[in-house]
Amino acid sequence: MAAPVPNRPVRDRRLSRIVNVGLPYLWLGLFFLLPLGIVLRISLAEPALAQPPYTALWEWLESGMVTIQLNFGNFMLVWADDLYLVAFLNSLRVALVCTLLCLLLGYPMAYAIATAPERWRLLLLMLIVLPFWTSFLIRVYAWIGILKANGFLNNFLLWLGVIDEPLAILHTQVAVYIGVVYSYLPFMILPLYANLTRLDRSLLEAAADLGCRPWRAFLRVTLPLSRAGIIAGSMLVFIPVVGEFVIPDLLGGPRTLMVGGMLWTEFFSNKDWPLAAALAMVLLGLLVVPFVLMQRWQQRAEARGS
Amino acid sequence: MASAIDRRSLEPWQDPQAEPYVRIERVTKKFGDIYAVDDVSLAIFQGEFFSLLGGSGCGKSTLLRLLAGLESPSAGRIHIDGVDVTDIPPYHRPVNMMFQSYALFPHMNVEQNVEFGLKQERMPRRERAERVAEMLDLLKITELRQRQPDQLSGGQRQRAALARSLAKHPKLLLLDEPLGALDKRLREHTQFELVNLQERIGTTFITVTHDQEEAMTMSTRIAVMDAGQIIQVDTPTGIYEYPNSRFVAEFIGSVNLFEGKVMRRDGDEVLVESPLGRSLQMHCPHPLALGTPVAVAVRPEKIKLCMDFRADAVNQIAGVVEDIAYLGDVSIYHVRVGPEKIVTMTLANIQPRTEQALTWGQEVAMEWSPTSGVVLTD
Ligand SMILES: Nc1ncnc2c1ncn2[C@@H]1O[C@H](COP(=O)(O)OP(=O)(O)OP(=O)(O)O)[C@@H](O)[C@H]1O
Ligand SMILES: [Mg+2]
Repeated sequence: MAAPVPNRPVRDRRLSRIVNVGLPYLWLGLFFLLPLGIVLRISLAEPALAQPPYTALWEWLESGMVTIQLNFGNFMLVWADDLYLVAFLNSLRVALVCTLLCLLLGYPMAYAIATAPERWRLLLLMLIVLPFWTSFLIRVYAWIGILKANGFLNNFLLWLGVIDEPLAILHTQVAVYIGVVYSYLPFMILPLYANLTRLDRSLLEAAADLGCRPWRAFLRVTLPLSRAGIIAGSMLVFIPVVGEFVIPDLLGGPRTLMVGGMLWTEFFSNKDWPLAAALAMVLLGLLVVPFVLMQRWQQRAEARGS
Repeated sequence: MASAIDRRSLEPWQDPQAEPYVRIERVTKKFGDIYAVDDVSLAIFQGEFFSLLGGSGCGKSTLLRLLAGLESPSAGRIHIDGVDVTDIPPYHRPVNMMFQSYALFPHMNVEQNVEFGLKQERMPRRERAERVAEMLDLLKITELRQRQPDQLSGGQRQRAALARSLAKHPKLLLLDEPLGALDKRLREHTQFELVNLQERIGTTFITVTHDQEEAMTMSTRIAVMDAGQIIQVDTPTGIYEYPNSRFVAEFIGSVNLFEGKVMRRDGDEVLVESPLGRSLQMHCPHPLALGTPVAVAVRPEKIKLCMDFRADAVNQIAGVVEDIAYLGDVSIYHVRVGPEKIVTMTLANIQPRTEQALTWGQEVAMEWSPTSGVVLTD
């Protein structure tokens, strides 16, 4: 595309370039960088009984000097207090376990849909997406009804005679896992499905022809070729689950503290916006670093060839 | 002077006692209402280079896939090396296939692709490396061994796929248009290499091709297919000189067909009345009833210029040269012999073209001998 399009005014093209390049940056600046800056700024303030409830970043002195106050105490506190560390670790663990569970459950489902006869696929996909038509909150509430002591699950198990007294599932870590896996499974299935439908069936035939049993063909051909789908699905589950608030709040108990709940408490109960903002910044850092590393690794893998 | 025994070992299909290596018995494959392969029976012998030839969609690939075990027949049985493999899955068949779409693994480089099948059979590492090197060298892709399939040209991909299918030294190799994307020189070279390799490792080859010249040069026998059925199986010479139907005659090479009716029979010769106004006298070993509609098929190179045209001579026709295509070694002449009939004649350019006598619009007489063509009923 070295030669310019002859009969199109130069100004026109420049405008379209500004729009093409500028608009995404404008969007990113307005709705990502600016809020991020505000959060960063709040995290460096101190709480105050004011509106908004934190100290100003700078102050004009009589002498005409400006003093800038940066309070790193919030970050120190986040670092020093075990409570926050526990919440972070708990969040990461829940997110990791749930991502793995979603992968284990979602991969076979995505594979089944991708290999189903054409006329079934749309219906099966609809079934995956269908829960989105109900409010997320209502679906999580419904799990309370299922998991509570005299809820659907316990009554069913009692009726079967598998258990003698109701299991305490609600308000435990298990309930959080169930709720999260249930809620985020579609985010794993959809990218995997998109990836697996593009798989060339003749590659599996070639593998079989070269002596691969179906299971080995899966391991050596299907699985490596669906890596991009696995990564995409895992990101879509892992990242939001780390900051998940609603599910642990409704289904979890006192021992299932996660970062989302922590943020809520600091913001709304303790009115300590700066501390909450510092927590949010740390969380962001924890999520971005592995993401960048992952991307690097993937790029290097691609450079090696893929 | 080959003895009868020699001839039999070179042409095992002539020997009623010979055990075929591949036996296809009345195999049919339906996709919905389409008969992709329709009641096909074939016997292919150890060490043969067998070609399936036919137009697009006639079922060649499907027949290969049935042999590889990638499709299971709707009816019929398939035996390979005396074993009924009809119900054996592809990974247990002693067969390898080169796919029409190549089906190279995109996440592996050329070397890993070639190595794939060897790893499946757990060949020791050292031996594996040697075999891979041998294959890469054979197909002249050693320099490309680190490339991914998407970094290869079409022809290079084809060679990589060929190397992969050959790597296991299978007893039976199925090749779906193996040389289609190669340029002429490389194709001729690879044809030669393939035949060499086949002789060295004793593999039986079954190839699919569109290219009749390729089928003619490489094959021990050719099966011509149409609409899922096998029309004729014969050696290249047999297919070319003695086609059994109008379809085969027209499919392989070019041919002049003169439609007519059997007028008289005289021992091995028949007299065919043709609308050209002359009757044609042809050699025909099969008995044909009088009045049977037939076509006399004569190849363009079997037609000679006739120096002394006589109205009562055998198989002589006169016409006007309408078109000349000069190909260097030969020229093709289109000679109009009737209001709706043009005869194609090929003459070797023995003299330089400039000295050639025939020009456009010239009246010529042509002739052929009764044994230079066949009489077709189908
Ligand atoms: N999986 C399938 N489902 C339905 N129809 C099929 C399938 N595979 C092949 N066919 C049909 O069977 C017929 C034979 O196909 P096949 O691929 O064997 O042709 P081919 O001789 O190899 O043609 P080409 O020379 O174009 O490769 C075609 O009409 C094709 O449309
Ligand atoms: Mg084909």
